[in-house]
Amino acid sequence: MTALTVNGRPLRFDIDPETPLLHALREAANLTGTKYGCGTGDCHACTVIVDGEALRSCLITIAEAEGRYVTTIEGLSRDRSHPVQQAFVAEQAIQCGFCTPGIVLAAAALLSENANPSAAEIRAALPNLCRCGVYPRLVRAVERAARVARREETISAAPAPGISAEDAARAVPAMDRGD
Amino acid sequence: MHVSRRGLLAGAAVGGGLLVAWGLWPRDYGTPLTPGRGEWAYSAWLKLARDGVLTVAVPQLEMGQGVSTILPQVIAAEMGADWRTVAVEPAPVSGAYPNLPLAAKWAPLWMPFAAGLADDPRKLVLRRWAEMTGFTATAEGTSLAAYEPPAREAAAAARAMLCMAAADRWDVAWEECEVRGGLVFHGDKHFSFAALAEEAAAYEPPDPPPLNPAPYAEVPDPVTEAAGLRFPRLDLPAKVDGTFPFAGDVRLPGMLYAAIRHGPIGDTELLGYDEAAAKVRGLRHVVKSRGWIAAVADTWWAAEKALSAMAPVWRTTGRASSERIATAIDEALTKGEASRVVTRGAGDADNGEPTVTYRYEIAPATHATIETASATARLADGKLELWMATQAPSHAKAAAAKAVGLSADDAVLYPMAAGGSFDRRLEHDHAIEAAVIASEVGAPVQLVWSRWQEHVAGRPRAPLACLASAWTAQEDGSPTGLRLRVAMPSTTAEFGARLFGNKTALAARRATDSAPDPLAFEGALGPYAIPDIAIDHVPVDVGLPSGRMRGNAPAYLAFVTESFIDELAARVGREPLSFRMAMLGGDPRLAECLQRAARLGQWDGGAGQSGNGIACWRIGDPEIGGPVARIACVATARAGEGGVRVEKLSVAVDLGRVVNLDIARQQIEGGLVFGTSLATGSALAYEAGLPTASRLASLNLPQLRDCPEIAVELIPGEGEPADPGEIGVAVAPPAIANALHSATGLRLRRLPLLSEGL
Repeated sequence: MTALTVNGRPLRFDIDPETPLLHALREAANLTGTKYGCGTGDCHACTVIVDGEALRSCLITIAEAEGRYVTTIEGLSRDRSHPVQQAFVAEQAIQCGFCTPGIVLAAAALLSENANPSAAEIRAALPNLCRCGVYPRLVRAVERAARVARREETISAAPAPGISAEDAARAVPAMDRGD
Repeated sequence: MHVSRRGLLAGAAVGGGLLVAWGLWPRDYGTPLTPGRGEWAYSAWLKLARDGVLTVAVPQLEMGQGVSTILPQVIAAEMGADWRTVAVEPAPVSGAYPNLPLAAKWAPLWMPFAAGLADDPRKLVLRRWAEMTGFTATAEGTSLAAYEPPAREAAAAARAMLCMAAADRWDVAWEECEVRGGLVFHGDKHFSFAALAEEAAAYEPPDPPPLNPAPYAEVPDPVTEAAGLRFPRLDLPAKVDGTFPFAGDVRLPGMLYAAIRHGPIGDTELLGYDEAAAKVRGLRHVVKSRGWIAAVADTWWAAEKALSAMAPVWRTTGRASSERIATAIDEALTKGEASRVVTRGAGDADNGEPTVTYRYEIAPATHATIETASATARLADGKLELWMATQAPSHAKAAAAKAVGLSADDAVLYPMAAGGSFDRRLEHDHAIEAAVIASEVGAPVQLVWSRWQEHVAGRPRAPLACLASAWTAQEDGSPTGLRLRVAMPSTTAEFGARLFGNKTALAARRATDSAPDPLAFEGALGPYAIPDIAIDHVPVDVGLPSGRMRGNAPAYLAFVTESFIDELAARVGREPLSFRMAMLGGDPRLAECLQRAARLGQWDGGAGQSGNGIACWRIGDPEIGGPVARIACVATARAGEGGVRVEKLSVAVDLGRVVNLDIARQQIEGGLVFGTSLATGSALAYEAGLPTASRLASLNLPQLRDCPEIAVELIPGEGEPADPGEIGVAVAPPAIANALHSATGLRLRRLPLLSEGL
């Protein structure tokens, strides 16, 4: 059994310790937000944060990840409130969304190290492949996320999940039954 | 005797009386939606719930292009709903959502011997076929043309029903009611959609439904746009937190994971594999077919590892190779018999020898979607369930059902969104494979192709070579005649034989290798007022199956034509912009795009090795009618370290009426990036039946750090809304080639541009 901490919870994997972290997360832990795109480290869709660093989960085995702290897209925030998540939605820097979790985590790791990255630093930190072509919006989105993280700006673009019908009805007249 | 409709159809079809049977086919496909508790279906398009949530069913594949926002937006705007209450779900496969414009366009593919009966969306035969087969395919930029009208009608009907329910409560005439923001008003009284949801569902809407005077449109305007998006994409919150499910994210009780290996390209047969080597921990089953072998295990990685260890052995004849492709195309181009597929004026008759001829080539290119082919299948109690992303769901479902001996009625397809497609998901080999594997192992199975398998068994864009010839006027060098002689596989016909004929890749190639393929030359006349044009196709079997790819015919035709036009201008020392403008008298809107792009991109004529190149294109033909997308692009590029460096793309675009400006911008930006990837990479080479590259890293795809600066100017336009997704793909490669000519003096006539070396 290989033990590591994923999104703050201790997990023990009863599978081949040589299994890449990517497949342990997806197929054993059912954390499917981490995506398989190539298995060889080219696409970066499987990027997760391991002990603060953005790593391609297809390139590390669970044996190598033993005892480490892994954050996947599911664990980045409880309610989509991470500045990168909010900024990506606000800038519509997402199309098909398949590469998005990897890009968001790479950007989040960058901002945790560097509160005010330059455009060149952002480009260097995001080698993720996106075939839909959201690139023209990425630098802008990460810069905006950085401003939010520095509390120079606020965004509420992506609503938190699980809003109750009563709360929604208070904010949206169309949902208020009037009874 | 009880006679079912189905029995009648089969009997009639056997007797040759297909039309009799069609006459008995249901005309109304009703409401295929299943409302939940406290929710009511108003039509095939929408449901309204007690809590005010309006759920729109979208019969098109979401693959990043935003259709699962745009069609709900059309409904919300027509209905007067509050955008915050709108939810979306994929529509089931049903006759209620026929894609008529696409069925008309593809009539030569599904009715090859009598396409004339069904080449117009208004024709009855076509509607019947599209309804009967549940043809809702997502392709060719037809989403709005096909679905904006029925979506608006459904919304208008629902709006009227809500007004009727409110009016009855107030005892007023329903026509006096107004709807906005999800509220029905009469004077200063109002009821919410939530309050009326149940009652209103029981009303019979007026026929025809009372449409708003004009369809919804957004007009480019910096002030209103700065205030924020009016209709933000519905799919983004789930996409940014990892909960948005793709086909490979489905988890079922007892589900196993399958990996697959396909044999080399050609006529291929599995001979055997190393059974002793397959002792991988977690491996449960091995499933063999003629042309593939699959391993099924507790994790996908274990299945993939087992396949590597098993080292399957194949017998393959007619192996695909780049050498064979080049030889076949060269022979066809220089000696093959051509069919004229498009003519304008006198074509090339009586013109004599052309003034100038150049040869252009395009290598096979792969889609490289980040999501590989993925499908989840469960077979239980004689029913097949499929979870997958597909651009042609009814055909994928039918093919998978047939493969396991079931009728399409015994299969259910749950449409999933695609992790990119670019027309890759018009193919559904993986649906058949997943169904067969699930059937053999007796458990739910999730099949995911490895990246290598995408390269081996994907369907790349067809390779081609073209001799472009012109007859030019003596005074200014402008073309008076143009001829394109194109040697390429009959790629659209081949695709059609796979999709509609359920043929294997090999059988489809064999069925179509000698017939010309007019659909592969859509828009070949180009935008210019050249009096005589002749487009010739030399069909050639290159030994490699090929398929559709984002941009399709406009993408390769624009590269050839716009490179060639640039060369014609350079021959006589004319400035490329004014050379083009002089030929655009018939399309002032495209001329406007060119001028605006020139301004936006600080066009300098490309002189003095400035590295500026220009190109334009349009998809659709104003003379025929229908939507027309127009674009002009100024590219700045240089030959840099390791290849082409595209610095900037500035485009002006006219799409007619635009429903969602920011999604249109996304699509233009994405199209330009995709076009750039085709200009600088994406190519596959083949040896002994296999691609020589197994990795994405070998494709030279742009990353953020290579991405050109992109400036987009959307021109407020009128007319039917054109698709924004493909036009950028078409314009980027020739603009970049022309820019490189300016920068280096070299004319690169081959795609990808790198393949010639700099």
